[in-house]
Amino acid sequence: MSGGRTIIVIGIIGLALGLQTGCTDRQPDDTAPVKIYRHALDGAPTNLDPVQSANIYASFLVTNLYDTLYRYKYLARPYELTPNLATGMPEVSADGLTYTIAIKPGVYFIDDPAFENGRGRELVAADFVYSIKRHFDPQTLAQGAWLWQNRIQGLDQWRADGADYAAEVSGLRALDKYTIQIRLTRPYPQLPHTLTQGFAAVVPKEAVDHYGREFAIRPVGSGPYRLLSFSGVKAVLERNDRFRREPFDPAAEGYREDQHGFTGVRQLAGSVPPLSDRIDVHFIQEEAARWNAFISGEVDHIRAPTTQLGAVLESRSPIRARPEIAEKYHLLTPLETGFVHTDFNMDDPRIGYHQDPAQNTRNKALRCAIVKAFDWTARNRALYFDLAQVFPGVIPPVTPEFDADLDRSSVSRDVEGAKALLQQHGWTPDNLPELEYGFAASVAERQSFEQFRAFMGDIGYPPEKIKALAYASFGDFNRALKQRKVMLITTAWYMDFPDAENTMQLFYGPNEAPGSNSANFRNEEFDRLYEQSSVMQASPERTAIYQRMNQVLIDECVSITGLSRTFVLLWTKNATMYPDLSFLSGHFARFVDIATDRHEAE
Amino acid sequence: MTRPASDSIAVAGTHSGKGPWMRAGQKLRRDYYGLAGLLIVLLYFFIALGVWLGFWGQDWSAAGGGQWESAGREHWLGTNRLGQDIFQRAVFSVRTAFEIGLVVAVLSTLIGAVLGAVAGYFSGRWIDELVLWLKGVLDAIPFYLFVAAIAFAFKGSAYAMHIAMISTFWTTTGRLVRGEVIKLKHQEFVEAAKAIGLDEMRIIFRHILPNTTHILLVQATIVFVSAIKSEVILSFLGLGVQDGVSWGLMIAESTQEVLVGQFYNFITASLFLFILVMGFNLFSDALQDALDPRSTGSRP
Repeated sequence: MSGGRTIIVIGIIGLALGLQTGCTDRQPDDTAPVKIYRHALDGAPTNLDPVQSANIYASFLVTNLYDTLYRYKYLARPYELTPNLATGMPEVSADGLTYTIAIKPGVYFIDDPAFENGRGRELVAADFVYSIKRHFDPQTLAQGAWLWQNRIQGLDQWRADGADYAAEVSGLRALDKYTIQIRLTRPYPQLPHTLTQGFAAVVPKEAVDHYGREFAIRPVGSGPYRLLSFSGVKAVLERNDRFRREPFDPAAEGYREDQHGFTGVRQLAGSVPPLSDRIDVHFIQEEAARWNAFISGEVDHIRAPTTQLGAVLESRSPIRARPEIAEKYHLLTPLETGFVHTDFNMDDPRIGYHQDPAQNTRNKALRCAIVKAFDWTARNRALYFDLAQVFPGVIPPVTPEFDADLDRSSVSRDVEGAKALLQQHGWTPDNLPELEYGFAASVAERQSFEQFRAFMGDIGYPPEKIKALAYASFGDFNRALKQRKVMLITTAWYMDFPDAENTMQLFYGPNEAPGSNSANFRNEEFDRLYEQSSVMQASPERTAIYQRMNQVLIDECVSITGLSRTFVLLWTKNATMYPDLSFLSGHFARFVDIATDRHEAE
Repeated sequence: MTRPASDSIAVAGTHSGKGPWMRAGQKLRRDYYGLAGLLIVLLYFFIALGVWLGFWGQDWSAAGGGQWESAGREHWLGTNRLGQDIFQRAVFSVRTAFEIGLVVAVLSTLIGAVLGAVAGYFSGRWIDELVLWLKGVLDAIPFYLFVAAIAFAFKGSAYAMHIAMISTFWTTTGRLVRGEVIKLKHQEFVEAAKAIGLDEMRIIFRHILPNTTHILLVQATIVFVSAIKSEVILSFLGLGVQDGVSWGLMIAESTQEVLVGQFYNFITASLFLFILVMGFNLFSDALQDALDPRSTGSRP
């Protein structure tokens, strides 16, 4: 083929591709500057139905595509609830059992073929009732029912009776077009927190019926954004022009000059969210690729990988970015709203409960020796760049109930003490049981395991008796936990709301596997205190109960705990924002403003 | 009476009065590249043997050093993120490589030999078609997809990788053996065995299969090195070694380290792997040349 003909053919192909692109991209106005915020997530959601939004990936999208009754204030720390779709905080009856919530009138779902004439209708109280009912419909295979299970009057019975949506649930009603009433079986002070989550997002019945299974990838909500495209590598969200106009009020969102002044968010006062025209969410699983995407300017915000912290930070105490980083990016280093811990499976007679009381005592001694042998300082240094906060028990530092003065002996390494404990209870290298350390296969998890094995080696635990139980995926690992097959369980718990109840329930007897109590811990005193505290409003009395429960867990050596990681968040100076990775939520994205205009064609 | 296997080979093709194994030995001794490869393999085997016997490499899991220490007297090739000695880990990985290589090479060669011989002897009959169909099915599945499926089916078993490799690596050996058996079964010594009424299984396994030893030997070395390479790739992907250490795991660890300028893990594991694979390739090539009656001498 001659050179001239080649050029013509290439030109035709190029033109065809250009036309193809032009056909598939929705570009309202090719010349209009578009503010695009580019967000990176380390995994991709597979289902955008709110009843399936059990992970941070789905939750980020769901809370931007749909509305929830409440959210957390954008800037306030500690976290404070604020109305979102609701007009105010709930009215709670004196006995704490009835919640009445008014919702805003004039909120509309996005236009969609699911609606009559394709025009989104007004969101009403009945939509919320329908959305919560879906969690109790066996057909939906919903993952959020645990938030309200045995809590709302008649809801569990409604499921047992066949989940007929026409049937009314006495504890979950729309009193009128704009008023919701929730009646509880017992006080549940955490209820408003549950209504911030993607699980509680409001969906229209028409869309669920219209799309059927496809509803998982065809979100129809009333949130600040609507979905433009979605694949395994990227989701594109565009501004919902019908989103209600609520100007940004820094003071109402918890603005404090000393905490937030450096971000410039105050200058956005009066702007109407969503502040970006578009959000491009890149799903980049590989840490190095994510970091490179950030450094090369392909994404605006990142949680810096631990391995990069040496290149990012000049000083750890106080935390300070290197000049070349500080020049280009903003830095924020919040503690995570959660913690990392390794639980013993108490159902495993080799390490947990044993029917022989003498062996039971020996097993407890073995667990306590392992706890003593664990070196949190080395763990923090090797895997968390010495930035994490180690604390005793399961009440993390971000919760209001955290006790900074609690005895730290359970997180202080004591090799000699551990050896003495083993010797005292007749444990020798020959009769020590084989430990099976479970994890979802990844480099970081394997390194955690190897370090654990090295720690145990220091107290004479034979390395060949400490086995890796690697699962191909987190799903497999999680399934094994539910089936009580894992002996040593290392997990990171991301709190659902800022209340220590959310970590205490991890050890509540009736929540044992397949529930959230993967340790299968059963303790009469702990369970009694949990039941007592679970109906109490926040108060010094309730805090005292939480702290007693915490001590029970420490004394029983049921877990090697705990450590809250410091997240090193970086974002480009083109973005005016205050990022937040807490509580399975993406509400902050509506407040992100991008100074540089980016054209959609980029 | 049938002749011994070695005589059978002599019948199959002789050029001089020397036996085929002796000629192969002579050719191999003249192939200096092959001898260098053999030396490398023996050196690695010696290292693996020392690890098996507990002479060295035993502290591969201890985290006694500081994070990312440079190479020095205490840690010859530095330390990794956890403070583990990289040299100790690389040395222990030799044992991992040989364990996997040996298990996979022996079992897949055995399966390939048996199924190939049976298929070849009964070529054109249903049993041959069955083996060919099975081979076709297994060859059609992408290897790494197959390993992932096996790993999933065995729920993270430490042997998922072995099973996947053995299940797929026998097919080439089986195909080569089948072809050779089809050729051999028409030879005089087989006709003689049939004539005196020996049963078919005895003919296949006592008289025909030993005459494919040269194929099996070469195939075993090729499978051995393929298994080691596959193990490294699978371990890198998280589908391989589940407990212990291997070069693949070390390279996987290094993906986080190279970004911050720490190359010891990556270079050490890669070099250990490269040298062994190179040694095995040189040796298996030399072996192939030596056992090939059509080959005239050493490589240029």
